[in-house]
Order: sequence, then C-alpha cells, then structure tokens
Amino acid sequence: MPPVGAKDTVRIAFIGPLTGGVAANGLGGRNSADLAVRLRNADPKAKYTYELMVLDDECKPNVGVQVATRAASDNSVIAGVTHYCSTVAMATVDVYKRFGLPVVVWGAVLPDITYANDYKEIHRVNGTMINQNETAAQFVTGLKFRSWAVIHDTTDYGKGHNKYFSEALTRAGGKILGTFGVTADQQDFSAELTRIKDLKPEVIYFGGTTPLGVRIRSQMDKLGVKAVFQGTSGIISDAYIEGLGTLAEGTLAFREGAPVEKLPGGKAFLEAYAKQKYPEDPEAYGPFAFAATNLVMDAIERSGPDRRKVRAELNRTRNVDSVVGRITFDDHRQNSVPLITRFVVQDGRWVVWEDSDYATGKRALAKR
Amino acid sequence: MPVAAWPALAAVAIGAGLAAALLLVHHKAAVLAVLAVGAALLVVAQRTRAGERAAASAAAHPRLVPVAVAACGLGLVMLLREDNFALLMLCTVALQTLAALGLHLQFGYAGVANFAGAAFLGVGAYTAAVLGGHLPSVLVLVTGAGLAALAGLLLALPLLRTRGHYAALITIAFGLLLRTFLEVNDTLGGPQGLKVPGFTLGGLAFNDAIVFDEDTEWSFYVPYAVLALALLGATHVLVRRLERSWIGLALDAVRVDETAAAAFGVNGGAWKIAAFCVGNALCGLAGALLAMVTGFVAPPSFAFGDSLVLVSIVILGGIGNPLGLLPAAFLVVVLPEKLQGLQEYRFLLFAVLVILVLRLRPGGLLPRRLRRWPGLP
Amino acid sequence: MLAQHLFNGLMLGVIYALVATGFTLFFGVMDVIKFSHGDVVMLGAFTALATYAAASGAGITHPALLLAFMLAAALGVMALLGALMARVLVLPLRGAPAINVLLITLMAGTAIRESVRLFYPQGSNPKPFPRLLPEGAFEAGGFTLRYDSLILLGLGLAAIAATGLLLERTRLGLAIRAVAQDPETAAVMGIPFRATVLATFALGSALAALAGVVNGLYYSEVNFGVGLLLGAIGFSSAVVGGLGSVWGAVLGAMVFAALQTAGALVVPGGSAYRDVFAFGAVIALMTWRPAGLLAERSAERV
Repeated sequence: MPPVGAKDTVRIAFIGPLTGGVAANGLGGRNSADLAVRLRNADPKAKYTYELMVLDDECKPNVGVQVATRAASDNSVIAGVTHYCSTVAMATVDVYKRFGLPVVVWGAVLPDITYANDYKEIHRVNGTMINQNETAAQFVTGLKFRSWAVIHDTTDYGKGHNKYFSEALTRAGGKILGTFGVTADQQDFSAELTRIKDLKPEVIYFGGTTPLGVRIRSQMDKLGVKAVFQGTSGIISDAYIEGLGTLAEGTLAFREGAPVEKLPGGKAFLEAYAKQKYPEDPEAYGPFAFAATNLVMDAIERSGPDRRKVRAELNRTRNVDSVVGRITFDDHRQNSVPLITRFVVQDGRWVVWEDSDYATGKRALAKR
Repeated sequence: MPVAAWPALAAVAIGAGLAAALLLVHHKAAVLAVLAVGAALLVVAQRTRAGERAAASAAAHPRLVPVAVAACGLGLVMLLREDNFALLMLCTVALQTLAALGLHLQFGYAGVANFAGAAFLGVGAYTAAVLGGHLPSVLVLVTGAGLAALAGLLLALPLLRTRGHYAALITIAFGLLLRTFLEVNDTLGGPQGLKVPGFTLGGLAFNDAIVFDEDTEWSFYVPYAVLALALLGATHVLVRRLERSWIGLALDAVRVDETAAAAFGVNGGAWKIAAFCVGNALCGLAGALLAMVTGFVAPPSFAFGDSLVLVSIVILGGIGNPLGLLPAAFLVVVLPEKLQGLQEYRFLLFAVLVILVLRLRPGGLLPRRLRRWPGLP
Repeated sequence: MLAQHLFNGLMLGVIYALVATGFTLFFGVMDVIKFSHGDVVMLGAFTALATYAAASGAGITHPALLLAFMLAAALGVMALLGALMARVLVLPLRGAPAINVLLITLMAGTAIRESVRLFYPQGSNPKPFPRLLPEGAFEAGGFTLRYDSLILLGLGLAAIAATGLLLERTRLGLAIRAVAQDPETAAVMGIPFRATVLATFALGSALAALAGVVNGLYYSEVNFGVGLLLGAIGFSSAVVGGLGSVWGAVLGAMVFAALQTAGALVVPGGSAYRDVFAFGAVIALMTWRPAGLLAERSAERV
C-alpha cells in the first residue's frame, strides 16, 4: 500500500443552497456529497485524494452564476455536483459550457436544464418533473379518486409541477375543480382552503416543498377540509413528518429513483450517513447528491483528473448501479430512470406504497 | 500655499491596492487579514487626520484625481485580466455601485429612501433580456434606463404626497409587488427566467474571450469590466458636477427643509421627482448591463433583500458621499462571496460585521462633509 | 362561506395588529423603524417552543400550566432582548441618520434568523407547535369555528386593549406619550428619557413574543423564516394606519388582512396575485391618506 501522502489531490465542486428558505435540502445534499468523498478517501484502492469545494448559491440565479464561474474558472476543479434550484441550474449551464466543466445536476427538476440545449457538460442523475407527474396521475386515478384541487407555489418548481400534473391528470380522466397559486413565503392559506372546502375535492394536490406543505396540511385540519393530501418529491422529507406529527398520516408523494432503503448500497448509505452525525438529515435529494458525487469520482478514477476525459467518461454512463437505482444517461445526458417510487406516510414514516397497509387494504385513505 | 497632490494619489493607490488584495485572496485567514489591514488604515487615517489631508488635496486637484482613479481601475482590470471570477466580481461591484449612485441621488439629495432599487434594476435587466439581440446593445442599455425611469414615474404622485417612512413604505410595496408580478405572470419567462444575449459593439461580441495566441487569452469579462468601470466613472463625474451646480443646492434645500425651500421659491416636488427618475434610470442602466454580464435573469434576483443590499451600500458608504459607495459596495458584494469558506455560517458573520461597522462609525465609512464653496474662507 | 372568510381575516388581522403595535410604539418614542421586529416575533415563538420542550421534559403535562410557562418565558426573554437591543443598537445611534437604525436592526434581525436556523436543533426545518388549547369546533353548514381560534382571538384582542389602556391610563403610558411628543420637554418635566425608551422597547418586544406564540398556536407550526413577511406586513400595517397611534396600527392591520383575504377571493387569476393586489392597494391608500388612515393632526412650522 502506498503511503497516504503519495496520492494526488483532486478537487470537485459541490454547489447548492446552504442559506435561505430551502437550505435544509442544500445542507442534506452537501452532507451526502461530503460523505461520498469521505468514504472514497478512506478507500485505499482509490487513486486520488478528493477535496470538496463547497459553494452556496442561495437559490438565486445571479449568485449561482458567480459561484459557478468561481468553480468553473478554477483549473484545479475537475468536475462539479451542482444545484438544487431549477432557475439556478438554468442560469449556470452556459457557464459550465463556456469553461468546459463537466457537472452532474443533483436536485433541480426542470426538464429544460438538460433538454433545452445540447451541452455535453451537463448531466443529471435525478429525473424530471414530467416522469414523476405522469406516474402520479395514473396511480391516483387508479385508486378511484376523481376530483382534485391544485395548490402550487409560484416558483419554477411549483408551477412546473402544476403544469405537468394537470396535463397528465386530464389525460388520465381526473377532474380539476380549482387551481391556486401561492407565493413560497405565504403563511396563511385560510382564504384558499376555505374556497377549496366549498369545492369539495377528493384530493388536494400540492406542488411545492416541505415548509409550505406542512403549513397547508396543518391548516386543512384547522379549517376542517377533509381530502387526501397528495404531494410531490419536494415534501418527501423527515421534516414534513416531524412538522405535522400524526396529521402527516396518509399523505401521498412520488419521487424518481428506486427507494433507497431497498437497494443494497442504499442501506449502507443511510448507516454511514448516520455514523457521521451530521446535524441535518439527508432529505429527499441527499441520495442523488451522493450518487452524483460517486459518479464523478468514478469517472476521475478511470480517466484521470482531466476535464475533457472526465466529460467523455460521464457521457458514456450506462447501467451504473447507485443508491438511487440504475443510472443510464440518454442522448441529452439525462438519467432515463424509468422507475418512480410511490410513497405514503404510515405511522410517522415515509413507506413505499407496495409495503404499506394502504396497499393491502388494511387502512384506507380518507374518502368523503 | 498650494496643496500637494500626493496625499490624494496615495489614498487612491491604497484603495486600489486593498481592492486588488480582496479580489485576489481566497483563503479565509487571508481575507480576514486584508479586512483587518483596511480597518487599521481607516483608524490611522482618522487619528492622524490623514483622511482630511487627502480630501483637501483631492479638492485642490479636481482634474488629477479622476485620472488617477481611472488609471487605477484600468490597472486593476489588467492585473486581473485572466481571472474570470475576480473580474466578474469587479463588474458586479462596479454596477452595484452605479445603482447605489442612483439611490444616493434619491436619498442623499432629494431625501427619498428607495427600498425598491432591485425592482428598478430588474426593469433594466428584463429590458436587456427582451430587447437584447433585436436592438444595438447601446440602445438596449439606454432603453433599460428609460423604462426604469418610466416605471418610477408610476410612483410620482404617491411619493409627492408622502414623506419619510410613509414614502419608504410606498417603495417597499412597489418592490414586493413587482417581484411577485414577474414570478406569477408568465409573459416574461415567469419564475423560470430568461436568457440574456451578450453585449456587442460594432463587430465585437463581448461574450467571446480575447485570444492573442495559444498561451495568452484574456477573460471575456475584460471588456465588460472596462465598460462597467467607464460607465461608473462617467456617472460619478456627472453626479459630482450636479452636486456642485445650483441643481445640487436646490436638491439639498429640498432635503433639509422642503417647506423652507418652497418659501424661497424652490419647487420641491419637481426636483424630488427629477432626482427620483434619474436615480431609477441609473438603476435600470446598471441592471441592463448586469443582466448581459450574468447572461440570465429570473425573479429571485430582484427580491426585497436585493433592494436592501443597495440601501446598505448607500448607508455604509456614508449617506450623501458618493466616494464612500465604492468601498461599501466592495464590502457588501465581495465579502459574502469571500466568506464562502464558512459555508452556512457566512451570513451570520456578515450581519455581525455590518453591525460592528455601524456601531464604530455611525455615519458610515466616509461620512458626508459640509458643503464648501471655493473662495470662501 | 362569507362568515368563514370574515373570521379568518379577523384572526389574521389580530396577529398583524400585535406586530404592528410594536412598530408604532418604537416609532413614537424614537422616530425609528426597528426592522428586526419580525424576527423577534419568530424568536418569541421559538423561545416558547424550547420552554415547552424543557417543561414537558421536566414532567409537566398540564396544558394550561405549560402554556403559562411558555408565555412567561417568551414574553420575559423577548422584553429583555428588546430593551437590550434598544440599549446597544438604537440609543447609541441617536445622532446618526434614522435610516442607519433601520440598517443596524435589519442586520440584527438577520443575525437572529440565521442563529435560529443554525443553532436550534434542525432549525432550518419547520417545527410543529404544540396544540395546548382545547380541541373541538363549532360547525354550522360550511362554517367551522374552532374553540382554540376563538381563545387566541380573545387573547390577542385583550393584549391590544391592555396596551391601549396602559398608554392612556398609567404613569408609564403617560411617560411614553410625553417622550413621544417632545423628549426635551419631557426631560424637563422629570421623565427619564432612556428608561422610558427601554421600557417601550421591552413592551413592544413582549407584544411581538405574544404574536409569535399566538401565531404558533393558531397554525400549529413555526419556522425560522416566519418573521420576514410578518415584519414587512406589520410595518405596512403600522404605516397604513398612521405611525405613532396604537389604534391606527390595529386599523391598518385589519385593513391589510382584509385586503389579502379579498385579494385571494376576488382577483382574477387566483390567489397568486393576492400580494400584488394587497400592496397595490397599499400604494393607493397611501396616496389617498399620505400620513396614514389615523394621521396625527399637525401643522408644519415654517
């Protein structure tokens, strides 16, 4: 075994929102990427020592361009694991293209990030919101629900989900009784929910992230709105359950990728994460950041620390096993994960639908 | 006795040196060291009255100092010519200072505290996104400035009727309103934002790197930085001229006591609105160019917090003193970026630093001085 | 439906009013805007939350007792913090432009917010606020009136009324009003300026803490960012009502809550435009009544 000092150090960048409203997700991603690097550095077989350059994009496009420029114009940085917020990812793709920095997007879900351009530098491990909502619409109409009210936040995330879900639901034969856009920092939803109560939908679909999801679900209860609460990948977090307690029971949500707990590497990931005692949970997209970081490091191991070679190596990714299932990039370097996992909250945990008492018929989702 | 020129030149050189040092260092300890040196110099300048001598010297050589500043600016760009990130920061600082100069006109002279600076920046930026590629770039900048001024005119009537905190609320409301509108309404890209074409002049596309030969390549930010600094310099000279003219005197009078000014025949309202529009035009101009530099606009960049950043620059600089804006902008724009090493803790530290600055120098870094007329003793 | 909307709006208005009263008090005595006020609301809620955790950890289970502890801790700690901020951040800047106070308190607010996010366990996530009030509701048709909401409404209204009485009937209130009118004359009359200012800031911050607890109990949830918008709305309410007047603040808060609720209901294109509507209406209101709805009558000296 060579002495520790003999390995060259290779730097990779991690960019995500570490401050501001969605910081929980950014920190979960940061910790997961950090974990991947730590595990690799502890592995004697690794050819290089890796160093993570962590940058905060504040979920703002102008800041994103700044930090992306900082990482991409620094020649010691070989590749990047970048962005949770879609607008930021949209704003920065040209920067990575210009400086030739290969990056793997770990959390941003807007389809345009990979599909609007044909940039060889941009890859993405997580799926787009199209896949997610297609499955969601078919699944929930399959449960014999017929009428929906839609609440979405007015960020790109919420608006995109509203668009794709509404299209998919109409195709699947569901009926939308009303659509309500709300700003991402809104506290009080009594006006919207009082109107929804009057519309009497069977399901309330919510396109947005945990903080708003907690508020809306909680205020539904206050106002006596009885409907199934159906969310998106943005609310699959421990914080959602912690924030609601027993009210979270029966909430549905969907996420791309295989369920982490069920994959061989997934269990190890969760255990290793717990062992590091990070103050924050990995959240829904932590496993994707972990997988993206490993993908990048694997490419560097094979091709050496050279951006062009790493890019070519990443472009070629086919059938790579990871904590989020098998990764295969399509012609736009988008992971074509066919698998969408359906979750339901049962006894204070996010449970895969097939394993839940709801699927076996032991428990029933609220019906009017 | 003629006043020597060297104290002013030395002050300019020290400032440029500090700016270069702050832009170039990356390591946490080095950043803090540069800050400590800057703070120490400020204290020394105050104790030994060196600051006053530099100011007197600058006043005695009104032509020399701008030339020296321009030379230092160019020198800085040349020094950083291959460093993309540092140049981007320099562009951002210059353009934020330009926008802050607009707010300074509004607040320092007309007494209107504008808490919607980012909204007017946004008007300029969205103009660049929509018109870029269809109009010559210079015209796009001018249109951005014009539209921002026009948008500000919407607030003319409410602002004429209100004062102080009441006027501040009107700008706050406008800023919040515009941001939400941009996000909710899909005609201008909605929350997803829009791409912005780069600046072109003649056949020169600013977005291409300047390649000399295989080994020498200058960053594409070099022309942007030069343009931004040139705009800032020209505007600064203009504002200074304005300040010394009878217009500046009228604005001062309006700010200090509108009623008394009216008694002396100064039409406060018209001047207030004029200053408000010119200030917004500067914000719009800065926003349009900033959008071209960044290449992308989206609503989150024009939130209330971004307006507060501009207000912070004006206050930290020392209200009413345009010279203080540049160091203040450096502090507010570059420092959070340089504190990236602290990751999630950086805003906490930044907030504490600003509180310390305000406690130690309640009037800002370089407070406004009393008006002095040449020829008076 | 209409009754439900009216009640929702009223409840919202009471929370806004508690926040707005603080702004108006500070402005009265010092002519300053304390922008950290919204974050003090948030910190008040988190103080109550921490007290709840500690008290229930110590084996206390009686809801009324728990609530009493939480209120005592939140109001007490925030009152101290308010006085401390006045002492350290506001009073020393008396000679500087008023807007400097705005910036320094704004940064203090950022520091509070970031500290809670970073140092409260899992602080960046939304926290459940304990349900300590009697559950159950009165239902009639589509109208749901929860007992806990009713109690909170009463609590908020009582606190505002008490503040009004305190200002009008007590010696402290007299001192506050005297300092607000003319600090120099007040000093000549033997009213200590500094002590009065500190007391005012303590009072306003205690009200903020109450707003935080009421907000938490009403929504059963609290998060580190809640103060940001509440602060902006509280400030808007105070200004719309007319700075310096408690009843103006209450009126402004009710108007703002009504605008928001109405915005979500009547504006075409749905509730996404409700803030555009509310703030547009604020600008129009300010144009109509430039010094607030309940402006103090004053002639300007020439």
